[in-house]
Amino acid sequence: MYSQGDQLIRQLRIYDSTAGELEQYEEPQDEFTSLKILDRCPEFVPPINFAIVEDGIYRSGHPQAFNFPYLQKLNLKTIIYLGDKTDNYDYYRWLRDQGIDFHYLNMQSCVEPFMFKDDSVIQQALKLIVHKENYPMLIHSNKGKHRVGVLVGIMRKLLQGWCISGIFDEYGRFAGGKGEGDVEYIETFKTDLLIDKNTKPEFVRVG
Amino acid sequence: MSNDIININDLKSNSSFNDESNCEKVSEPPSLRIVPPLNFCPVERHLYRSGQPSTINHSFLKELNLKSIIWLAIEDPQDNFLKFIDDNNIKFFYNLGFNSIDNNSWDGLSENSIKQSLEVIVDTRNYPLLVCCGMGRHRTGTIIGCLRKLQGWNLSSVSEEYRRFTGSRGGRILVELLIEAFDVGTISMDPQFAPDWLTKSTK
Repeated sequence: MYSQGDQLIRQLRIYDSTAGELEQYEEPQDEFTSLKILDRCPEFVPPINFAIVEDGIYRSGHPQAFNFPYLQKLNLKTIIYLGDKTDNYDYYRWLRDQGIDFHYLNMQSCVEPFMFKDDSVIQQALKLIVHKENYPMLIHSNKGKHRVGVLVGIMRKLLQGWCISGIFDEYGRFAGGKGEGDVEYIETFKTDLLIDKNTKPEFVRVG
Repeated sequence: MSNDIININDLKSNSSFNDESNCEKVSEPPSLRIVPPLNFCPVERHLYRSGQPSTINHSFLKELNLKSIIWLAIEDPQDNFLKFIDDNNIKFFYNLGFNSIDNNSWDGLSENSIKQSLEVIVDTRNYPLLVCCGMGRHRTGTIIGCLRKLQGWNLSSVSEEYRRFTGSRGGRILVELLIEAFDVGTISMDPQFAPDWLTKSTK
């Protein structure tokens, strides 16, 4: 029995007509049908760092024109942008044409140390998140790493009661390490949420 | 007409907010904390991925109301995980497509395993569904990667997602090669039970 790497290399060589001597090996039981790759143009390109957070809520980096077909499939009702770039005109035109409720919440990059984060931005975003009529919703920043990671982390803590270590793990998976002060901010952030039982999303746990 | 400039501040929103008079004020997170399993992440609606859950993750898993679990590792799961599956009447899919005792845990999945797992995933009668293996890295990553391909995703996004879960040692080229070479045309599904996000994206 060959390791799978050997099998793949062997397959590749069979396509190479000069590798006749490899035929003497016995056939592996689990034959790959082919490494002839069907070179189909992919139908969809999701935005960078795209992921689903919970049912009806997605996170990502800044959408580009080539992401629009994919985003259209999500039937988004609301988009929250946490960031400070204001010159992506193709995107703004697309947002208007789609009739998506767009919230531009100015948030400076957290990469600078000692940068104060504005609590009101997170509070405003949470108000939109606790009201399920705003779903499906996309939250994005520029790279989908730090700013969105902070909001998702706070959501995991306050709305879902995740343990802090699980939140840090998720934050780090997208940020590729620890951001300056971000996880401390998630850990210490406090606010009063106004939750209406009739409009709260399913994933919100209270009590 | 389509060349008019829209400024970010010109965009409008009609989002609704909670009516404060009907609201309960919540200042503290829920007092009972839940612990997500290693490498846990939602993949699509009611479809999740993770590493092997341990006892501390059981209350978290209960929130998901799982109907089925796909176990991709060759090793048997821990007894407490099997007990959780049993106690909650969860359908447990294991040994999918494994046909040889020579399979090693460091080998990738066979094409047959990928096909069988994906055919469980494209059937919403199995949802909510958790796909897991020992660490939730390579085997789970292979299946989810092939699923993304079936959804029509481009390979660089598939690879970005796979590598997000592989930890500090990074992704395996073999897994990415498997995903790239996998022919999604071999998957058969019943359109009646296929998830919305799949039928909409495969035309």
